[in-house]
Amino acid sequence: MLLFRSEEDIKDWCREQGMPLGQVLTLEQVWQLSQSWYGSRLEAEYTGRTAVEAEKIFRQVGLADPFWLFD
Amino acid sequence: MITDIDLAVRHFVYRFFVQETRPPAVAETAAEFGLSLPETEAIYKKLHDGHFLFLEPGQSQIRMANPFSAVSTGFIVRTGAKSYYANCAWDMLGIPAMLHEDATISARFTGPGGVMRMAVKNGRIQDGQGLVHFPLPVRHWYDDLIHT
Repeated sequence: MLLFRSEEDIKDWCREQGMPLGQVLTLEQVWQLSQSWYGSRLEAEYTGRTAVEAEKIFRQVGLADPFWLFD
Repeated sequence: MITDIDLAVRHFVYRFFVQETRPPAVAETAAEFGLSLPETEAIYKKLHDGHFLFLEPGQSQIRMANPFSAVSTGFIVRTGAKSYYANCAWDMLGIPAMLHEDATISARFTGPGGVMRMAVKNGRIQDGQGLVHFPLPVRHWYDDLIHT
């Protein structure tokens, strides 16, 4: 996931790569996502997560677009 | 099927990475657990296939233990006296989130704009600029992780 100065720069990059625009998140959104996604990664009890658990994290952070679904 | 020893190796890899700012080599993990090199390589491969970490293509060397990168990137995270490379703009925030520590971050913009510097302090981000682009829907994230 790359960092850009602006949405315009993202659109220019997508055009250069021949890719459609994906999802654009603010740093605050990524920080909220990171805390849920990575907060327990160092624990010995961490055993990975299922697609259902991952989708729940995305929803909790406000990411409800079909982009964030595994199916 | 992932077993207790596989998860113990996963945990060791992460603890080693936190301490040494690099992943353990196969020989280092083998020594820690009293395993042979082929046994350890097989565990690394299982963890790779289960997306617990990611190996260099065709090799037993760890490339990523997300959010850590084993190779230099444009995303540098400093916590205390240690400095880590993150894999991407998500992982640059994943490192302080995982460590539960304050951090300073130096991140290269794609396209024009140079380098962005920000911090995480007392659980909040400070001075950050820019936007993070997730190019692929989640169902395609593991198609080609290095280029996502």
